[in-house]
Amino acid sequence: MNKDSIWIGGKDLNRDEEFLSTVDQEFGTAEILANSEAVVEQDTNRRDFLKFLGFGLGAATVAAGCDIPVKRAIPYVIKPDSIVPGVATYYASSYVEGGDYCPILVKCREGRPIKIEGNDLSPITGGGTSARAQASVLGLYDISRYRGPQLLGTNGYDAASWADLDATVGAKLAAARNIRIVTNTILSPTAKKVLQDFSAKYSSTKVVTYDPVSAAAILEANQLSFGDRAIPGYNFDKASVIVSFNADFLGTWISPVEYASDYVKGRRVEKAGDTMSRHIQVESHMSMTGSNADQRVLIKPSELSAAIDFLHGKISGGGGGGSLNDKAKAALTKVAGELKGAGSRALVVSASNKVADQQKINNINQALGAYGTTMSFDDASLQRQGDERQVNALIGEIEGGRVDTVIFWGANPAYDYCNAEAFVAAMAKVDTKIALAYQPNETTALCNVVAPTHHFLESWGDAQPKRGHLSLIQPTISPLFNTRQGEESLLRWSGASLAGDQPYMNYLKANWKSSLFSGASGFASFGGFWDNALHDGVAKGGSSAANGYVTGATADFAAGNSVASGSDLEMVFFEPVSVGNGQFATNPWLQEMPDPVARTTWGNYLAVPVNYDGGKKFIGMNGLIDGDLAEVTVGGKTFRVPVVQQFGMAPGTVGLALGHGRSVGGKCATGVGVDANPCLTVERGLAQYYNTNVSVSGKVGKEDHFSCVQYHNTIGVKADNNAGETINADEATLGQTAYGVGITGYQGSLTERSIIYPSTLKELKGSIARLDEKQAAAKHLNDATLYPYDEYTADKYSQGHHWGMHVDLNACTGCNACTVACVAENNVPVVGKKEVSRHHEMTWLRIDRYYFGDAENPNTVYQPMMCQHCDNAPCENVCPVNATNHSSEGLNQMAYNRCVGTRYCANNCPYKVRRFNWLDYTTADIFPANQPGVAKGEAVPFGADNLTRMVLNPDVTVRARGVIEKCSFCVQRLQEGKLTAKREGRRLVDKDVRTACQTACPTGAITFGDKNNKNGELSKKLKSPLNYKALDEINVQSSVTYTMRVVNRDESFTS
Amino acid sequence: MLNYLSKITLILAFGILPFLLSAEPTLDAGKKLFKNNCAQCHAKNMKSDATGPALGGAEERWGDYPKQDIYDWVRNSQAMVSKGHPRAVAIYNEYNKSVMQPFPNLTDEDISSLLLYIDGVYKGVYPPPVPGAAVAGAGAAAEKGTPTWLYYALFGFLGFLALLLARIISNLNVIAAAKEGSVYTQKTLWQSLTSKGVITFALFAAVILGGYTTVNNAINLGRQQGYAPEQPIKFSHETHAGTHKIDCQYCHDGARRSKHAVIPAANTCMNCHRAIKVGSTYGTAELTKIYASIGYDPTTNTYIKDYDKLDQEALKEIYSKWIGDNYLSENEGLEVLDKAGEKLVEAQWGDIVSSLTNEQKKTVQGPIEWIRIHNLPDHVYFNHSQHVAVGKLECQQCHGTVEEMEVVGQHSPLSMGWCINCHRETEVQFSDNEYYKSYEKYHNELADGHKDKVTVEDIGGLECQKCHY
Repeated sequence: MNKDSIWIGGKDLNRDEEFLSTVDQEFGTAEILANSEAVVEQDTNRRDFLKFLGFGLGAATVAAGCDIPVKRAIPYVIKPDSIVPGVATYYASSYVEGGDYCPILVKCREGRPIKIEGNDLSPITGGGTSARAQASVLGLYDISRYRGPQLLGTNGYDAASWADLDATVGAKLAAARNIRIVTNTILSPTAKKVLQDFSAKYSSTKVVTYDPVSAAAILEANQLSFGDRAIPGYNFDKASVIVSFNADFLGTWISPVEYASDYVKGRRVEKAGDTMSRHIQVESHMSMTGSNADQRVLIKPSELSAAIDFLHGKISGGGGGGSLNDKAKAALTKVAGELKGAGSRALVVSASNKVADQQKINNINQALGAYGTTMSFDDASLQRQGDERQVNALIGEIEGGRVDTVIFWGANPAYDYCNAEAFVAAMAKVDTKIALAYQPNETTALCNVVAPTHHFLESWGDAQPKRGHLSLIQPTISPLFNTRQGEESLLRWSGASLAGDQPYMNYLKANWKSSLFSGASGFASFGGFWDNALHDGVAKGGSSAANGYVTGATADFAAGNSVASGSDLEMVFFEPVSVGNGQFATNPWLQEMPDPVARTTWGNYLAVPVNYDGGKKFIGMNGLIDGDLAEVTVGGKTFRVPVVQQFGMAPGTVGLALGHGRSVGGKCATGVGVDANPCLTVERGLAQYYNTNVSVSGKVGKEDHFSCVQYHNTIGVKADNNAGETINADEATLGQTAYGVGITGYQGSLTERSIIYPSTLKELKGSIARLDEKQAAAKHLNDATLYPYDEYTADKYSQGHHWGMHVDLNACTGCNACTVACVAENNVPVVGKKEVSRHHEMTWLRIDRYYFGDAENPNTVYQPMMCQHCDNAPCENVCPVNATNHSSEGLNQMAYNRCVGTRYCANNCPYKVRRFNWLDYTTADIFPANQPGVAKGEAVPFGADNLTRMVLNPDVTVRARGVIEKCSFCVQRLQEGKLTAKREGRRLVDKDVRTACQTACPTGAITFGDKNNKNGELSKKLKSPLNYKALDEINVQSSVTYTMRVVNRDESFTS
Repeated sequence: MLNYLSKITLILAFGILPFLLSAEPTLDAGKKLFKNNCAQCHAKNMKSDATGPALGGAEERWGDYPKQDIYDWVRNSQAMVSKGHPRAVAIYNEYNKSVMQPFPNLTDEDISSLLLYIDGVYKGVYPPPVPGAAVAGAGAAAEKGTPTWLYYALFGFLGFLALLLARIISNLNVIAAAKEGSVYTQKTLWQSLTSKGVITFALFAAVILGGYTTVNNAINLGRQQGYAPEQPIKFSHETHAGTHKIDCQYCHDGARRSKHAVIPAANTCMNCHRAIKVGSTYGTAELTKIYASIGYDPTTNTYIKDYDKLDQEALKEIYSKWIGDNYLSENEGLEVLDKAGEKLVEAQWGDIVSSLTNEQKKTVQGPIEWIRIHNLPDHVYFNHSQHVAVGKLECQQCHGTVEEMEVVGQHSPLSMGWCINCHRETEVQFSDNEYYKSYEKYHNELADGHKDKVTVEDIGGLECQKCHY
C-alpha cells in the first residue's frame, strides 16, 4: 500500500463497477432515481406537458387577477428600548444539556432567538461552539414539545392547569414515604440548592444522578486516588504527547469544545521545522478523535483493559496486558518510550468505564508528572457527576417496595440507562411518577404527572462547568407555551414562597449573592458583579480550591486487575457526535448532520471492518457492502441494521452508534435507527460500551433509504481514448500504472488533482517542495490562456473588497459545528432520510473526509467544502439566464429569483457544492398544491409548520422549489458588516465580517476576510507555504485556500 | 365717453385690486395661518377646548376693548398679562395660568385673517359648499388630450376604406375577367373575412396583442404604485409632518439604524397625545383609538392597570365616557347627552372596535394593525439605514412629499428598474466617509480629474447580491 494514496471509501479503492458507472451522474445511479415513485410516475408526455402549461397559465392568470393581498404592519404597543425591529440583539447565555456545556451568545431578532454564537469572553471555550450547541435553538421551536401540564387520567393524559397539577403533586408528595429525584449531571449550583430545599421539606428525598454516557469510573478512580470526585482539567495545548484510550475527546467526551480548542493549539504547523504534538489513539472503532490522531493502535474493545494495563506496566513497572494482541503490544511499547520522553508534557486519557483502568491511568499520569502541567484539579471539570450504580440501587429499592415516588428531572433512564429494561419493569411498582420534561420521551410515557419545563432559551439558570468558572443562563424569549421551569416547580412543591413575574430569577440572584459572590473579586457590590456576569455570560467564582490531592497514587486497584475475556467478534458502542445517547435525537439538524467519519445521516449503521486481501480488493466483513442490511445478534437480542464499511476498525470488531432507535421521540427521532442501549453490558454496576457475544450475518437485504453521503458528489472525468470510445479518464490513468490501489495522487476518483496534500511532519520540507512544483505546474497550465487571470483582474479587484477564505486543515477536526451553523444562518432546509438517500441533501457546507496512508489503519483529513467563489467560475458561464454571476468583491452571486432550475451550474461545478431544491422544503412556494410529494405527506417533513419556521433568519431568502442555492460567504453578514463600518465612518476590519462557519468553529480553522486588507488576519494566513487551492490546475481561481494536512506520524510504528 | 369710462375702470381695476389683495384679510390665508401656528394647541372646530381654549367667539369676547388689544394678545399674551389688561388677566386665570406661546411675527392683517377664519368655522359658514365642482372637474378632465372617440372614428373610417378598396379591387377583377371572357366568382364579405389570410392575420395580431398585454401585466404584477389604502386610524401626515413639521425620524426612528423604518409604537404617539387629546380634524374619533390600544384613560390622564385583562364592555364604558364628556364640553349648555350625542358616542366606539380588531385579533387592546403600503418581495433585501444614514437621502426622494399627503400612498413604483436607475445616477458620499478609503483607484481618479463623481454603480451597486440574498 502506497503511503501517498488518498481515498474516500471502499468503493473507489475497489474500483467498484457500480460506483464508476455513477461518477459522471450528479444524482447517482438509475437505481437510486428509479427508487423514487415520483420519478416513475412523472413520466411526462406531451399531453402532460400541455396540462402543466395550461395549469401554469391558469395559475398565473388567477394570480394576476387576484387583488394583492393586504399585508399588515403591526408595531409594538410599548416598544422595549432594547429592541429595534430589524436589528439583532445578542444576549450572553449558556447552553447546558446534562453535562454538555457551551457558553453562548443568543442572536435574537424581534425578540425571537434564531442563532447561537460562541461567547468569546469564556476562558473555557474561547468562543467556539459544537454542532449540538448550534442546533439547540431549533429545539425551542420543536413541534413535539409539551404545551402545558398533563395528568394521567383513565383515558391517557389530560391537559391540566398548573394549580391542579400543583395540588395533585402536593398531596402525593405529602403522602410519599420515599422520594427519589432522577437527574443527569447538574452543573447548576443554584439548581442543587433547589434540590437541597426540596430535600429539607421532604426529608426522605434522595437525588439519583447518572449520565447517558457514563464517566462514573473516572470519578470513582479519582475519589480513590486523590479523594476528589471530579474530572481533572486537561490542558491539551500543553501536552507534547497525547495518548487516548478510546476517549473521543474532540467529538463527545466530557468537554469536546474546550479540548478541541486546546488540542489544536499544539497541532498548528506554519512552516517546515515547526513542532507539533503527537497524538496516539488506542481504540477499536474509528472515532472522530481517532481520525485526527497521528497514529492509531487498534485493539478489540475487550482488550482495552489489557492495553491500559500493558502501558501501566511499561511506565509504572509491573507486568500485565496478557491477552493484548502483539501489534498493539509493540506499538504501546514505543508509546511508553515516547511518553517517558515527554515526561510532564505527556497526557494520557481514557474513556474506559472500569475503575481499575482509570486508577492505572491516574498512576501513569502521576508517574509521568502530568499533574500540574497537562492536567490539574485546580480547575477540575464538573461536567460529569453521574453514577449509574445509583440507578441500579434505585431499582433495588423499588423492587423492595421502599420507594413510592420518583421525580424525573430531564433524565430519560427508560431509554438511556444501561439496563433500561429492568428500570422500566421496576417503574410499574412506583405509585407516583412525575416528569419534569421538555418533550415526550420513553420515561415521560411511564409517568402519571408531566410538569413541562422551559427550553433553556426561556429559562434562568447558572452553571459551574469547572471549578472557579461560573456561567449564567438568561431567558431570551418569553415562554412560548404554558410551561414552567423545573427549578420553579420543585420550589413550589417544596412550599417556598415565590413572588414576582420571574420567581426563579429572584431565587437565583439571591443564591448568587449569598453563596457565589463571596468568591468573586474586583467588585464592590453584588449589583455590579451580577450585571457584569449577566452581560458577559461568564464570571469567575464558585468553589475553586481543590481538595489538595494526595501525591502518590494507590497501587491497590479497586476490583483487582480484571481483564475481560474476548471473543472472535466483538461489538463496540459509541456516542455519535450528532445525537449523543439520544438526548439530541429529536433535533432534525443533528439527525441530518453526517457523522464525521462514516458520513451517515438519520440513524445508526453497523460499521464493519474492511479487509485488504493483499492484492486488489478490499472486502467488507462477511462480504457486506454499504447499504446492505445485516442481521445482528448481540447478547441474545436480534435486529436488522444497515451496514457501512469502515476503514480503521480493529479486525474482528463491529461498531454501532448509540442514541438512535428512540421509541418515543417526536417526529424525527421515533423509529429512526436501532436502539443499541439494550446491548450494553454491565460490569460491577458500570455500563460497558462493548459486547463480546456478537454474531453478524451476511447480507439479508438492502436498506431502503441508505442515507450515507460519502459517495455523493463524486465525479469522474470522461475522455475519448485513441479508439474514439468514451472512457473514464481516471481509469485510463490507472490502467497505465498498477491496477487498484496505491496510485500516487489518486483522490476521490480524480487523478493527479490537487484536492488533498498530506504530509508527515518529518517530510514536511520535501512535501512543501513538491507542493511548490505542483503549483508551478498548475500556474503553467493556467497561464496558457488568452485571458491571464492576474492581468485581467488586476484592475477589477484592486480596490474595495476582495473576499477570501482560508481553511486550516490541520486545525479542522471534522466536528461539523460549521455545517450546523451554516444551516441555521442560511435557512438551509432539512430534507429527511429518503431525500438524503437520493443525493438531495441541501447543506451548503459539507466536510469531506479523505483517508490516506495505510489502508488498514489510515490517517484522515477533513476538508470543509463550500462554494469556492471562483473568480473564473465555470458555473457562471453556463447559466442561460445569468442567475449566477460575479460581483466586484469576488463573490459568486446566486440570484434565486432569476434561477429557472436548469441545473447546468451544478453540473459544471467542479467542487459539487451547488444544491437544487427538488421540493418545497420550507413552504416558500406559492402553489403548494402543485407538488406530488406533499400530497402524499412524505416529502416535507420538517420546516413546514409555523412554529419551526420561527427559527428562520429574516435576512436570508427562503428558497422556493426549483432553484439552485449554495454558499454565499454569508453575504448578509458581509453587507451588515460593511454597513456598520460605513455608518461609523471607518475602514472595514476583520471582526466586521465573520461568516457563520468561522464563528462556530471551536478551533479557529476557518479565517474569512478581505484579501485587499494587507494587515488583516487573512492576509497573514495566506502567506503560509503550506497553502494550496483545491483543483488549482483547472484555472477557476477559487477564493478559498486550504493548507497541507500534516500528521506527526512515525512510520516505524507497526500498528 | 365710453372710452373714458373704460379707462377709469381699468385704472380702478389695476390700482385698487392689488391693494385689496394684500390688505384684505382672507379666509384662506387665515386657514393656512391657523394650521401652521394655532392648530397644535387649539381645536380645529373652534368649539372645544384642547390644550388651549376654544377660539370660537373670541372676537366678541374682546369686543369691549380696542381691536389692537386682541392683536397684541395673540402676539405676546404674557406682556398683556403683566401689563394688567383686565381681559388678559381674566383668561390667564381662567385657564390655570397656562402660558400661550408668543407669535411676534404675526402682523395685524395676519391676525385679522385668523379671526375671520375662526369666526367662519365657528359660525359654520366656512368652508363654503361648492356646488357643481365635481361636474366642472369631469369636464376639465375630458377636454385634456385627444378624445377617445376620435380613435374609434378613425379606426372605423379606415376599416370602411379597406372594405371599400377591397370591393373596388374585386369589381375591377370582375371587369377584367369579363373582358378576357372568363368568369370571376366574387367572394362574399363572409368568404373574405374567413379566408386563410385574414384568419392568419387576425391570429397573429391576437398573439402579438395578447403577448404584449400579458407581459405588461406580468411586469406590473405585485407592483402597487399609488396604493393608498384606508388605515385603521385616519392619521394625517399632512398635519403631523406638514403643518407641525415633526421630523420623519421622530416616529420612524428605525430609518437611521435599521433595515426597517419602523411604524412607531403606540407609546411614541403618547409622547404628544397625552396632552393633545382632541384632534383638530376628527375630535375624539381617531385619537381615542390610540388610547384604546395602549390603555390610557384620557378622562383621568392615567394608564389603566391590568388593561389586558379588562373585558370589552369595561373598555366601552371608559372610552364612551370620554367621548361623551368631550361632546358635552363642545356643546355648551348640554347637561346630558342628547340624541345626536348618543349616536356620536355609539358611532365612534363602533369605529374604534372595527378599526382595532380583525379575524386574528379579537380584542381592542393591543397593537394597531396598520395596512402595510410599501411591500417588497421576500427575496429583496432593503436597508433604510444604508440609504438614510450612509447615503444621506431625503425620505421624500422615494416616498414623495408625504408631508402633503392626508392619506399616504405609495409614491414610487418600487420596481427593480427604479432602484437600478437611482443606483446608476446617485453619487456616493465618497470623500467624507473613511470607509470608502479602500477605493484607492477612484480616489486617485477623482483627484486627477479622470472621474468627476463615483456613483453607486461604480462600487458595485448594480450587483445581484447587494439586494438579493
